[in-house]
Amino acid sequence: MTKRDASRQGSVEADPMFAKVSLAEVSVGYEPGRPVLHHVDLSIEPGEILSLLGPSGCGKSTLLRAIAGLQPLSSGSIEIGGVTVDGPGVHYEPHRRRVGMVFQDGALFPHLTVSENIEFGLRGVDDASSRVAELLKIVELEGFADRRPDTLSGGQRQRVALARALAPRPSVLLLDEPFSALDPGMRVQLRRDVRRILSQVGITAIVVTHDQDEAFVLGDRVAVMRDGRVRQIGPSTELYDRPDDRWVAEFVGEANLITGVLQGDAEVSTAFGLHAVHAPQPGFEAEGQVDVLIRPEHLVVVPGGPATHEGSDRPTVRVHVESAEYFGHDVLYEVTGADQLFSVRSTDTSLSPGDAAFVRYVGPPVQIWRRSTTEG
Amino acid sequence: MRAASAGSFQWLAADRPPLKAFVVAVAVAFALPAAYILLRTFQVGALSGLSDTLAPTGRSVILAVTVSAAAAAIGTFFGWAVTSSDTPSIGALRTVLPLALVLPSFVGAAAYLAAFAPGGILHEALSALVDLNVSLFGGEPLGPIRLRGFWPSWLFLTLFTFPYVLLPVMARARSLSGSLHESALLLGRSQFETFFAVTVPQLRPAILSGTLLVFLYTLSEFGAVQLLGYDTLTRVVFASFLADQGVSFLAAAILMLLAVVVVLIERSVESSSRPDARADSSHGAHVSLGRSRWPVALLGWTVVLFALVVPVTSFLLWAARGLVDGRVNLGRLPPAMFNTAAAGLVTAACTIMVMVPVATLSIRSRSRLTAVCTTAVLTGFALPGVVLALSMVFWTLNTPGFSWMYQTLPALIAVYIVHFGAQALGSAENAVRAVPANVRESASLLEPQLLRRFGRVQLPLMRPGLISGAGLVLLSTVKELPATLLLAPIGFDTLATRIWSGYAEGFYAETAVPALVLLAVSGVLTWLFVIRSGFRSRTEGPGQS
Repeated sequence: MTKRDASRQGSVEADPMFAKVSLAEVSVGYEPGRPVLHHVDLSIEPGEILSLLGPSGCGKSTLLRAIAGLQPLSSGSIEIGGVTVDGPGVHYEPHRRRVGMVFQDGALFPHLTVSENIEFGLRGVDDASSRVAELLKIVELEGFADRRPDTLSGGQRQRVALARALAPRPSVLLLDEPFSALDPGMRVQLRRDVRRILSQVGITAIVVTHDQDEAFVLGDRVAVMRDGRVRQIGPSTELYDRPDDRWVAEFVGEANLITGVLQGDAEVSTAFGLHAVHAPQPGFEAEGQVDVLIRPEHLVVVPGGPATHEGSDRPTVRVHVESAEYFGHDVLYEVTGADQLFSVRSTDTSLSPGDAAFVRYVGPPVQIWRRSTTEG
Repeated sequence: MRAASAGSFQWLAADRPPLKAFVVAVAVAFALPAAYILLRTFQVGALSGLSDTLAPTGRSVILAVTVSAAAAAIGTFFGWAVTSSDTPSIGALRTVLPLALVLPSFVGAAAYLAAFAPGGILHEALSALVDLNVSLFGGEPLGPIRLRGFWPSWLFLTLFTFPYVLLPVMARARSLSGSLHESALLLGRSQFETFFAVTVPQLRPAILSGTLLVFLYTLSEFGAVQLLGYDTLTRVVFASFLADQGVSFLAAAILMLLAVVVVLIERSVESSSRPDARADSSHGAHVSLGRSRWPVALLGWTVVLFALVVPVTSFLLWAARGLVDGRVNLGRLPPAMFNTAAAGLVTAACTIMVMVPVATLSIRSRSRLTAVCTTAVLTGFALPGVVLALSMVFWTLNTPGFSWMYQTLPALIAVYIVHFGAQALGSAENAVRAVPANVRESASLLEPQLLRRFGRVQLPLMRPGLISGAGLVLLSTVKELPATLLLAPIGFDTLATRIWSGYAEGFYAETAVPALVLLAVSGVLTWLFVIRSGFRSRTEGPGQS
């Protein structure tokens, strides 16, 4: 939360709309076209931004719609700001939940101007027009009040949608794949804008996305979903460095699973030497061989081979380059070495398929799992 | 867009003078009836007949406005409800409601007249409930119920025209994004408010275009108002075209003027309500109506009952009775069926051949000229059939060298083409669009021979559009009455004229059979070319070009 606290200080417009959102045992039954949810427990702290990350069809949008009241639950309960809005015998209509939502397509009313769109939810509010002006300022669209939605760019439309959702001061903001209809350059820009605006407003927010970059950049915490269940939830770094299982490891980034042998409780040895191990999950018991997660960017190409790096306590591994994918800022090599196939991300772009090279592990303590080939 | 010089079917290439000349000729032909009516109106000095036409004008306008309003309300509400709500039996309603289109309004009105006549199904039902010959509350005995004047005309025309609004609204509602509706709910509006604040504005272009069709249809309606004795302009045109030409021409001119004014109004309103395609989405709207979903379903089935079930049952009862007691002579049925089919098929084929060049020009080289030409084609649709027929009658009679055409099949088919050409234009444009420039270019590289290229590439791609255009025209000719009455050769019975003459004379049983045949044919055609294609795309159908 430190990032957000820092940015909130000195912000022009601090308008805290804090509410805790809690889901307990939320299930949604089968319905054509919508994925199911199985006993989802989730709790979002007041003012927190949570990213809901998962592949398409995993139920993340269904979960969001359930919080909004657009999707009835088959069991479980949802609490917003201490009020049970869904539960046994309880179902608040969407408009009684004080929930704002930004849809993938923006869902701007095409027959209304920008300011009329923002004002839509402000019926009966005294200073509606000054609130509209305030929001236009926050989303940096001051000159666009009288424009029609169809004259706006995709990014502008989404900012109007955001302003419209924020206007009635909801206690939680839900964003359903808000950037997926945009082209890549605009996505990055809008992502930055949204991050800034949410921090400035200080609202509790849940962002659904299938893009791991988006989830990491936007979320204070990230919840990874699969098949209607939350697989893991935590800060981005924890998710990336210490995924609970190999599916999560592979979903949030490139992952090599290297064979290793446990050396006591705290260390594991692989072809790349001896690694400290993250405190294993409770109940973890394994002896002998385990899977070790090694991210490709934690392997470096050693120019000139082992001789030049005497004194390092880590061994170098001789590898054979099988293929190279060039990305501009770096290259992802697929290599074989130590009887295994794995990936190496390197800024050294000089290698070609067929070359021999040496790589070494330079990274943090590693995550290990019981060996298995069936999972994921 | 310029047609590539490599485009096949050379004379159809959009930049070729022959095509332009042909299209201009078509446009002139389509505009001719209107011009002729105006010319004659002034020649005859018809303005003296103004007092005779004033009251019918008022009635025409009142009827058209009230029917349009009612059809717009019914069509909009059910078009939305059967697409986007949780109305029980929604799937069946979605299929059955548009079928009200199957009944030409004069056939529908005839069905009700037959139903209320002694021996008719509603008369029987009512007699079973109350004794119609006994006076109630000390007043006059009820007696047989007579359907005459404004209210029955309004009711029946609404019942049989609301699908013109229903179908485009259904198509539009289906493409609406559910997130618009959900946004409004989340921003604090009730279902009811959301419908009017968000949904209706999104449906507006569809409502407008459908309502325009209803207005034009009602304005040009002849058979139903004639049967129900409601004296509108079309009746004046028809009744006085032999006795007092001046009044007839003036009435026709006023009808034309009304049609033009309404089309212009609709165009100016529509251009300010362009739909935003980006609001469309695959995620459809599904609205829970809560407890009111049962009344909505009940209401929907009530409409089906009166627009479809009662008329059809009424015919069935009379037909069965007539067949049982041998009063019905089926011998005259096959010729009428043959005539109807022949006139319809020839018209459909000719219309397509005339409209494909127009569509080619309007799609591939948009210019002011093409805009004028397509407007001329639409004029033919906007003019009442009775006006077109009147124009043709007097033109053939008064033009040296053309009098042989009076009451011949070519004259009838020519009027059909002018009247229904616009219905094929939209489909023909789709057909032309189905062969984009890059396809034409690659085809010309791969298949050098012109005709073979047309057969192998153009025709297969254009076929769905052409068939759908021809089908719509066929459907309209089968249902057409006033022009057929005025122009058909002596003794050339069609299904429509058989029904008409039978009902005009009160022979309900004898004409129930042709009516049922007409409904069956029109039902099949409507299903194939209006309802089913409406499910697939929303670009087809009359008035949407």
